[in-house]
Amino acid sequence: MADRVMKVNAFTTFDLLDGSVEGHGFEENAFATLNVRTAREDPEAVTLELELDNTALESVPPHADRVTLTADEAERLASELQAAADRVVEEGNA
Amino acid sequence: MPTKVERWKDETYGMEIRDHLLRFAEEGWDAIPEDEHDAWFERFKWWGLYHQRKGQESYFMMRIGTPMGRMTPEQLRTIGEVAAEYATGPVENPEFGDAYADFTTRQSIQLHWIKVEDIPDIWDDLESVGLSTIQACGDSWRNIVGSPVAGRDADELIDVWPIVQDLHEQFKGNDLYANLPRKWKVAMTGDRRGSGQGDINDLAFEPAVKEIEGEEVAGFNVNVGGGLARKEPRFARDIDVFCRPENAADVAAGLSALFRDYGDREDRFNARIKFLVDEWGPEKVRSVLQEEYVDYELPTAGEGLRDEYDYNAGRADAAGDYIGVHDQSDGQNFVGLSVLVGRMGADDVIELADLAESYGSEMIGLTQRQNVIVGDIADEDLDEFLAEDLLAEHSPDPHPFMRGSIACTGTEYCSLSIVETKNRMVRYGRWLRDNVPVPEGVEDFHIHLSGCTASCAQPQIADISLRGMKTRKDGDAVEAFDVGLGGGLGENPQFADWVKMRVPADEVPGYIANLLETYETERSGPAESFRDFVAERDEDELAALADGEETSYEDPYLGNTKMTWYPYAEDTSMDASPAPTDGQGEPLPSDD
Repeated sequence: MADRVMKVNAFTTFDLLDGSVEGHGFEENAFATLNVRTAREDPEAVTLELELDNTALESVPPHADRVTLTADEAERLASELQAAADRVVEEGNA
Repeated sequence: MPTKVERWKDETYGMEIRDHLLRFAEEGWDAIPEDEHDAWFERFKWWGLYHQRKGQESYFMMRIGTPMGRMTPEQLRTIGEVAAEYATGPVENPEFGDAYADFTTRQSIQLHWIKVEDIPDIWDDLESVGLSTIQACGDSWRNIVGSPVAGRDADELIDVWPIVQDLHEQFKGNDLYANLPRKWKVAMTGDRRGSGQGDINDLAFEPAVKEIEGEEVAGFNVNVGGGLARKEPRFARDIDVFCRPENAADVAAGLSALFRDYGDREDRFNARIKFLVDEWGPEKVRSVLQEEYVDYELPTAGEGLRDEYDYNAGRADAAGDYIGVHDQSDGQNFVGLSVLVGRMGADDVIELADLAESYGSEMIGLTQRQNVIVGDIADEDLDEFLAEDLLAEHSPDPHPFMRGSIACTGTEYCSLSIVETKNRMVRYGRWLRDNVPVPEGVEDFHIHLSGCTASCAQPQIADISLRGMKTRKDGDAVEAFDVGLGGGLGENPQFADWVKMRVPADEVPGYIANLLETYETERSGPAESFRDFVAERDEDELAALADGEETSYEDPYLGNTKMTWYPYAEDTSMDASPAPTDGQGEPLPSDD
């Protein structure tokens, strides 16, 4: 088994989330780690990285996924997350 | 563009930080401007001080670097006295009491709950016996590691102690090497055990012999660029250089200057020399060293002694540590004592120093396995020494499960860790001792427990590697461990294979019990070490060796200890923290 790709410490945004991977003909669930990252110096973008525990997956090789967001995109994501969270809270399901 | 840390270092770094620390000590914690905390805390590391984590503001960890872990009984006693007087916090640790010293994997000593106001008095005490906190942390020459019994060990090629003392003198407080791109860890080994663990250091001097001009010369092969951190473990690479003992300082100066000049100062994550070795390759490291940094022709590598190495090597035919009674070259004995997770109560530290002195010992040694050695015990005194009460607690003949454990600092004090470590490892050890049969032939079994992926407990080089994670159990988030197997150093160093993820912390002892049962049942015989057993199996087989299981083991730290101000406080919530406090430990008024 391969080691984790992402480092995990107290500054990791989430070290325990429920995740899933879906492709054509497969779908698997696994715990996941999700982290928001910016460069320490003069950050130009926001990186969002996600890794599902490779021990729980057979359909994909061990890996982490990353997307890079501009500040505008990160703000838009934050605002959509906020709005979506508000809806969950309003429904009393928080 | 240089990083923020580099800019802070450009403003103030190295020796001059001492004056600022003395000023802050005089004026008190509040005198450190809040908006400059990050910069000052980074600089304080150079003088051996780490600010403790959230909820413990105004308290520091102090590290005292002892080259090769070596001290006199007088120095050890001073450590104990300083710990008893100054290293006490608002709440006792339930396993270790209110004052203790941690012996680290790099043969240093760490004390916690240190107040900035007390630093001048502590320095006075330490420096009066020749101890120092200089460069114990920070971007410079760290504590040089190696065998504490160099010169005493009957099983060695070269006595490296005089060389290490010389390097320590030359490179501590030396402005030329005070500000490197990142930390610089050096190991020097002269014995046949491989006890310097050079493979995981930036610069390693490994014992070797070479025929030069018809004469067989004992010296060192030089390896560069080892290290475990950042999830990018590397073993030090052979740069094909043989170094005579008298040239060690030249080669060390050359390589640390090469690192100073060519290391990456724009990205701290990429700064360690292991990444420069990745980029350049060992051949270029050698050629740049030769052309720009040394003024004699470097011999090519000699014949090393790696096939004899047994330190933390996972061999079935040799214990991988210094525990027990060993012959000294002068006919006396040195005695290795087990210190579970490297933590010893301040009273025990003082008692050990007194005991050592009363037996005429002139040398106490801290090992990279967080244990302690008492040197110079005469044959006729040995039985009496071994019968001393203190040795019942810190045993020269411990149970195998109480012998091989290493743990990092963990959420008790560390900002990075996500799980509790030392107290848990103590509880694991006791439970395993009381409940799990030791496979026949196993003397020492190495379990390294690290609180996160930073690798401070060297989790990649153990029989069983435990690395902090979280999982969910009965609907609740609980502390857990990723599990690796089969790492170790020795002739063929090998990092652990990671085989399980997120085993709940309370199921780890059950996992280990199941694993060892499988090992004993399926191994070819007692001559097959656990490490060899792991090496023989593929990924799927390793994952299937055992599962976690609830047992009679109880874990009091399953919840999210990183969210507490101190995991063992009665009220653990951040709001209950007394920090920051003044020089007397009284809470300071908050700004809001």
